[in-house]
Amino acid sequence: MNIRSSLRGGFVSGFVSILAVLLGLTGLVGTIVQGWFGFRSQTPGAWALLLAIALWGGARAARSAEVEPWGRVLVAGLLAGALHGLLMAAFTWLVGSLIDSGVALRKWLAQLTPQAVELLTFGLSPAAAAAVVFAALAIGGLVGALLAQASTRYRWRQSLAQRWGTARERFEAVPAVKGFRQHRYSQQILYGAGLLVLLVAPLVLGKYWNYTVGTVGIYVMLGLGLNIVVGMAGLLDLGYAAFFAIGAYTIALLTAPEPHGVMVNFWLVLPLGIALASAAGVLLGIPVLRMRGDYLAIVTLGFGEIIRVLLKSDTLTSFTGGPQGVRAVGGPSILGFRADDRFYVYLIILGIALVAFLTYRLQHSRAGRAWMAMREDEDVAEVMGIYTLKYKLLAFAIGAGFAGLGGAIFAARNKYANPEDFALLASINVLSLVIIGGMGSIPGIILGALVLKGLPEILRQLEDYRMLAFGALLIVMMILRPEGLWPSKRRAMELHESVE
Amino acid sequence: MISTTQAHPKRSLSLGRWIRPLVAVLVIAFILWRLWTILFVQQVYGAETWVRIGISGLILGGVYAVVALGYTLVYGILFMINFAHGDVMMLGAFAGYFTLEAFDAAGLLNRNLAWSIVCVATAFAAAMLVGMVAAILLERVAYRPLRTAPRLVPLISAIGASLFLENAAQLMFGTARHAYANPNVIGRDAGWVFIVNGKEVLVTYTGALTFVLSILLMIGLLILVKRTKMGKAMRAVAEDKDVAALMGIDVDRVISNSFAISGVLAGAAGVMWGLHIGIIYHYVGFIPGMKAFTAAVLGGIGNVAGAMLGGLVLGVLESLGPAALGVSFQLQDVVAFSILVLVLIFRPTGLLGEVLSEKKM
Amino acid sequence: MRTRILLVFALIATVVLAACCPKEKHECTDEWGCAVFEPGQTVKVAYVGPMTGPYAAFGTDISRGAELAVKANPDVEGFAFELVIEDTQGSGEQSASVANKLVADPRVVAVAGHTFSGSTLVAIPIYEEAGIPMMSPSTTLATFTQQGSEVYNRVAFSDALQAKKAAEYIYNVLGITKIVTVHDSDAYGQGLAEGVAAEFEDLGGEVLAIKATTQGSADYSAALADIAALSPELIYYGGYDADAALMVSQMAAAGLEGVVFFGCDGTYGVNYIDLAGDAAEGTYSTNVPIPPSDAFDQFKADYEAAYGDPQGKLSPFSPHGHDAAAVLLAAIDRVAIKDGNNLVIPRKGLAEEIRKTENFLGLTSGAITCDATGECGPQELVFMIVESGAWVEAPGQ
Repeated sequence: MNIRSSLRGGFVSGFVSILAVLLGLTGLVGTIVQGWFGFRSQTPGAWALLLAIALWGGARAARSAEVEPWGRVLVAGLLAGALHGLLMAAFTWLVGSLIDSGVALRKWLAQLTPQAVELLTFGLSPAAAAAVVFAALAIGGLVGALLAQASTRYRWRQSLAQRWGTARERFEAVPAVKGFRQHRYSQQILYGAGLLVLLVAPLVLGKYWNYTVGTVGIYVMLGLGLNIVVGMAGLLDLGYAAFFAIGAYTIALLTAPEPHGVMVNFWLVLPLGIALASAAGVLLGIPVLRMRGDYLAIVTLGFGEIIRVLLKSDTLTSFTGGPQGVRAVGGPSILGFRADDRFYVYLIILGIALVAFLTYRLQHSRAGRAWMAMREDEDVAEVMGIYTLKYKLLAFAIGAGFAGLGGAIFAARNKYANPEDFALLASINVLSLVIIGGMGSIPGIILGALVLKGLPEILRQLEDYRMLAFGALLIVMMILRPEGLWPSKRRAMELHESVE
Repeated sequence: MISTTQAHPKRSLSLGRWIRPLVAVLVIAFILWRLWTILFVQQVYGAETWVRIGISGLILGGVYAVVALGYTLVYGILFMINFAHGDVMMLGAFAGYFTLEAFDAAGLLNRNLAWSIVCVATAFAAAMLVGMVAAILLERVAYRPLRTAPRLVPLISAIGASLFLENAAQLMFGTARHAYANPNVIGRDAGWVFIVNGKEVLVTYTGALTFVLSILLMIGLLILVKRTKMGKAMRAVAEDKDVAALMGIDVDRVISNSFAISGVLAGAAGVMWGLHIGIIYHYVGFIPGMKAFTAAVLGGIGNVAGAMLGGLVLGVLESLGPAALGVSFQLQDVVAFSILVLVLIFRPTGLLGEVLSEKKM
Repeated sequence: MRTRILLVFALIATVVLAACCPKEKHECTDEWGCAVFEPGQTVKVAYVGPMTGPYAAFGTDISRGAELAVKANPDVEGFAFELVIEDTQGSGEQSASVANKLVADPRVVAVAGHTFSGSTLVAIPIYEEAGIPMMSPSTTLATFTQQGSEVYNRVAFSDALQAKKAAEYIYNVLGITKIVTVHDSDAYGQGLAEGVAAEFEDLGGEVLAIKATTQGSADYSAALADIAALSPELIYYGGYDADAALMVSQMAAAGLEGVVFFGCDGTYGVNYIDLAGDAAEGTYSTNVPIPPSDAFDQFKADYEAAYGDPQGKLSPFSPHGHDAAAVLLAAIDRVAIKDGNNLVIPRKGLAEEIRKTENFLGLTSGAITCDATGECGPQELVFMIVESGAWVEAPGQ
């Protein structure tokens, strides 16, 4: 704790606050809080955010492992808060004056709506508003520092952790819980119950939730497929959506009335779609066999883009349907019954089960061990007699096949296939859910799909900020927990070994 | 004893051996055939069209080269693709945009030649500053904590950073496109006129400025890397980080410096892009970023001269490609990416060869 | 490990239970079912368009028009209208997802949307199956009303009309015989470029080529040089304003000085002139001019007061958004019945009533009338030309 840390704390808070205002986060938090508590305006929420940042800045400034005299803490916090306040005050004054003198700031900085600006100025003159902001944030910094010091001095963090620990122990000591955990089949019972819920769910959920669950399911399938390429074989594939597209378009082109009019039964075309996607995986694999990790990533990215542009292009429109896509894609039918949304959820669950089963078997097979060895050190693996080329191609083929399956179901369910659905963003989505969920771990990928695809559906209010949060989440996860939310133990070990 | 000779069955060796040359022959044959058809049989384009396309290719290539320099600098030291580099370019473009708009609002932009030059120069300076700051922040926040992590982790972080920057720009500046100021003295609709094959060919002022500036920046960077102390330090760190540290070089600072320089270059490229093309928006850095990386690889990653050459070659090939092959200009990006794939298959070290420590690999 | 599984299981179970809703049972003679509202519930009308992504300006602008329409007609029989705004991000996948979400909500009775032809393609079969009528403010793809859909309607004109009129204007009024049509590889643009080419050839003109570009391209110089090699007299462009502006500003440098640039309704608007600057001078476009009226003046004032931007800045379609929503609301007003304390809206009845709209006072036209195929748009359109930095009516019509 010294001058430098105070200045840094203040500066960072100032920067973050200004960014928050420019991004419209103050307004967003204000609206959400307003909705929760029924306030009359966005001010409470917005200022809660700003003060929280001030508290954090002050806490950072006063962070220290030892107990410090209160005087020093006061100074540190005040300094940080003052810097933060100064920056925000200057910003407020600048914005206020510019707007008062008639400059249409909103034209250039889209989030500075009159409402947003008023959150800062309270309708006062720029100078007065600046003073208010300065005072508020300086005090906030001070309080933050005091709180941080109190936490160190009175050991709040440790006592909280202790209480959590004791509570947990007590919970686990409860005879019912204890008995459950030690019961031989408790894990199986849980899985069984989960399976039951899964089987019954499509019947009670409405169309919308069935559709959402189905989408999450397809992404789980894709995630498991990519997991084989990235997680198990360690090959970073950024063009995964290309295989997705191939599966989808095979179904689409062979079951839709246009552009070809060949309307083959879905069940016959499905294996063909998977096979073609696998073949594409092998074809992609061959040239990239000897490439280094980053080059592999870029080449696969290029490949994905090439497929998308080709699907959309004029030259191939007569074959692929062009940018309009392929409509009225045929779907599966069982004994004459047309597929409806519930059927698709079951089909997807079945698909996931199949893919998960295959993944599990692969993990514990010779191929799985070969991949593990290749991941650790490719050269050593070669020397030990592992035919890396073959296993790399195998990884691509199987991963692509899974994507083909997902793509086929995707196109049939939407009754539509369109090149734009297979853009780079789709590949990045799948990669992110594998990474965030946990590479190499089946439950992790399911969790990742839920978080990345299901959550935005629930939090539609945050629509505008979704991708922003997404990007920030990727960075934060990589720094704090690169192995993902629910990793396989092995990956966690691997990653933390190298990080430390 | 570990035997190394029987690592693979013999079958595959012979398969792998002749597949590459076969593919190479096929690709070259195809290209030659198309060229022959277009140039001599159908004669679709007159000389002036080729010149036009070539000029636009060179100008674009110059921009790609400047951005590629940034990629190559970072990759040479950290072995990591800075996915967010294109977005640094975008931020620089916006900085230049706001500067020019401010000058325009004050009525200074078109007052006279001297003022116009001052305005444009200030715009460049602002963009370079913003680019530098952005790149340094990027490194501090998203890459430094991951210095020791396996390769995949900083790459994901870079992707996340790219997404974050693009969407932050969208939120801050709005989703609509912005029109870059078009100062009278350096307009994008006027320039020098040549007569080729009886038709007029226009080289715009902005195009010429872009190209000349690219060359100057490239030369500047070459001098920096080869002649200055900072450059030497960078090369040392690229060679072997640990040994450089032992020699007393502050590795963290060197890395920050390379990011800073790459940011400066990207910022300048952003303003060049804005002035020449005329329209910017939050997503404008993405594809040029990808293509610039392709250019860096094409020239030989880690190699400054290679990035220059790669950028120019890529720009020209990308523009001439669809015309020469007689395919639609829709497929311009396909040509660019195909070049990447072909280079990586047949000459992975790039045109001028890589300048990387093989030990790291 | 097990506690983790237990927690996730609990999470999933909660979600499932929360989402599970019992279906409402009611008596209803309508073929497609009825929407029943209890007191206090809002009647939902949705707007669907790109609210984020590169064309977010369109979505934002049109949704605002719809919002103003709802403000003007805020309730029916004491039940408040609620405008639900959904984002497609311009993608087909999101479009289907949004459509599925809307049809699952029993309180959604009509959709003002979708906004782009490509995303509408996906949605129509979904709404068709659920019996929810649509009124699109802006999709112009000709085939939409030719497929016998019972739910699709639009207040915009059809591209079949636009292509025909454009070809006629170019051939007859401008006297041009050699053109190149270009599109941006999107459903809307491609439909137009090919439509105009076909019509032009029917008239006897020569279409030198139909070229394609990519949306969001930054540099058209090479593609334009390619077109310049054909020496056309005019380029017809099917696509949107941002790309068109870029293209037109690069035409001179590519050797296309003096060649006429003819756009479509997607390239019309103040934004186009802003982006293209001086290069926009002399370009044509299609528009259905909003007839001057007090209502429109009021709309412009309301728009600026509520949103801060002048009407027409983000896109020229906010009046269309307004009219799409207004026509839907008016039709709902006509078919909604009170059943005790509840409000009942028969779905097929609503779809049919929308098509019976006649002489409705809207902003885009003083007399909006729908036909049996769902075309409610004007049958006349006007070509505009940029003169001295502003759009004016082109001569010779």
